[in-house]
Amino acid sequence: MTKQSPKIGVYGFTGCAGDQLMILNCEDQLVDLFGATEIRSFVMAKSDNHEGELDVALIEGSISTEEQLKRIKEIRERAKVLIAIGTCACHGGPQAMKLGDGGYEERYKKVYGNAKINVSKAFEAQPIDAFVKVDMYIPGCPIDKGEFLGAVTKLVAGRTPYLYKFPVCTECRWKENPCMLYEGRFCGGPLTKAGCGAVCPSHNLPCVGCWGPTDDLNVSSEYNLLKEKGYNPDDVLRKIRKFGGANVAKLLKDIESKGAKK
Amino acid sequence: MKELNVEALARVEGDGGITVTLDGKKVKSVTLDVHEGPRLIEQLVKGMTPADDLNVIPRICAICTLSHRYSAIRGLEKALGITPPEKTQLARELMMLGENVESNSLHTFLLALPDFLGYPSAIAMLNDYGDDVKRALRLKKYGNHVMAVTSGRIVHGENPILGGFGRYPSKKALEEIKLKAHELIPDAVRDVELFASLDYPTYPEAEMLFMSVNAPKKQYGFAGESILISNGKEMNVEDYKKLTNERVVSHSFAKRSLYQDKPFTVGANARMINMGKRLDGQAADLFKQHYNERWLKNPLMNNLAQAIEMLWSLEHIPDMADKVMALEDPKIEQPTRQTGSGTGAVEAPRGTLYHHYEVKDGLIDVADIITPTAQNLDDIERHMKLTAERMLAADKKDEEVRLGLEMVARAYDPCISCATHLVRLKRV
Repeated sequence: MTKQSPKIGVYGFTGCAGDQLMILNCEDQLVDLFGATEIRSFVMAKSDNHEGELDVALIEGSISTEEQLKRIKEIRERAKVLIAIGTCACHGGPQAMKLGDGGYEERYKKVYGNAKINVSKAFEAQPIDAFVKVDMYIPGCPIDKGEFLGAVTKLVAGRTPYLYKFPVCTECRWKENPCMLYEGRFCGGPLTKAGCGAVCPSHNLPCVGCWGPTDDLNVSSEYNLLKEKGYNPDDVLRKIRKFGGANVAKLLKDIESKGAKK
Repeated sequence: MKELNVEALARVEGDGGITVTLDGKKVKSVTLDVHEGPRLIEQLVKGMTPADDLNVIPRICAICTLSHRYSAIRGLEKALGITPPEKTQLARELMMLGENVESNSLHTFLLALPDFLGYPSAIAMLNDYGDDVKRALRLKKYGNHVMAVTSGRIVHGENPILGGFGRYPSKKALEEIKLKAHELIPDAVRDVELFASLDYPTYPEAEMLFMSVNAPKKQYGFAGESILISNGKEMNVEDYKKLTNERVVSHSFAKRSLYQDKPFTVGANARMINMGKRLDGQAADLFKQHYNERWLKNPLMNNLAQAIEMLWSLEHIPDMADKVMALEDPKIEQPTRQTGSGTGAVEAPRGTLYHHYEVKDGLIDVADIITPTAQNLDDIERHMKLTAERMLAADKKDEEVRLGLEMVARAYDPCISCATHLVRLKRV
């Protein structure tokens, strides 16, 4: 087994390190995970890191400096499979929520003033696939242990992982939670990808949308439905954009072009 | 001129490096460089509702997610005139105990200990120190579990909200964490013994200044309305700017802090120095047994401080769980005003974390977040410089100097994601 162990690299870019932390949070499986694979690089967890060819690169975080851009391209070149883990890598995350509004320079100045910082030129955060090809997306803020371990186990066995494609509402039905939209509370569930186990609605709290937009979403129709139910469109936009960043921005353009906005 | 670099500082949260610039044997400078990309969170939450802000700001850092949330809640509740019910307060204290156990076990064992024992990672220690590593993982898992029971999830739980909780933990869940805490206390005692037995090098030693919150009722704790300074002074948290004086430096996207033009330290060691006399239980006995003058000048002692603190947290979980389950679930307290300002200060495992908010007509107008690592960066650099000078004077090899510097940086349990919001040794 050891000879064929897949070579894995875990890399963090701009984000909160929560997805790398979730790997370390697999306390019961950590020893097996390090045993069944060859973790070549995982800077947050160990100091003997070796770069080189990889079977799987797990990427957390968004790209927001020239240095990171260079590095993600270099990792892509030596990785057979590149997986974006977490909402920041998949969608840009909170730091990309205002992507493309033209206000980045001003926000940067308000935080850092005119001080010269010679680390690396920074730009507004974008998801990984804005720069390199991504083979698989495991979203989540943070990723779910079960979904992550399930995917890695299948990859190690040379099979294709199954990842959720449906919205949080499906998980809410499984848990028999009452629907908050009927109670007049705006919930991001219908727009958001499942995987968290509908954790917020299960705590009597509306879904905050932290997994990012779900696949095959008819945003325009969902948006109009929410509007009909009396929800303020601006609130809806703000809610779903908080985590969905770049990809929600694309969806919004789609809504606008269909004349759904206001 | 020569440069000694630690390009990517491993076993810390976030992307940083260390650069030491040497002129012959003279150390010209030592910098902790933060490469982590900027995120501008304080600007992004401007215009958001306080509830939306609470969804975003824990994402500054996964390891101190609940500290961020709690600090923001404290600041925002003051701004909006919300007085949280007693049960809410107690459940928040319980979640902070859980985060403390999780984060301190992660840092002491998985991140810091391998240096002292000469391994590249905790996983590499498995063959020789399997029992210790497994014990640490048990404690870490337990800390995570307490966080999940209280906050809804092990990382970025949304359950703690303004004025209350979405859903309070069930009696059954609280009974379970109580039982398990009793079971794990002996593990935590063994951890303290292990960390007390380590050899802490003297290279970084120098006079230090420490700050931490002053927990109410003369008890040890992780939140308060004033800040204790080890020079005997005390200051209201609303005056946080006088304590932290943030500034920007050229080698980092993380801001820096000085107090009266001097660097200072926050963290478990600062809490023990300012509030150690208030400890109780076995934690108090072990603190008395192992505390000495070196704690006041050696940042490496933070590792032992974290181990003792983890025991204290664990010993307090059963009592806190009892208090939470004894009370009826209160209704969520609502804002009494839509315009106001307030500052929250809590002790994240790695030190004091401030969240200051100004709310105008129900929307965030100003957010100012000052993280523990941002406050520690100047003191980390000061102690690294001393370490480099003394180790080079003692003719230590570059490899040893590198490790010595990394140990100092790691001892602070830095959270670089937080601060950006680490070793290069450069010879010039």
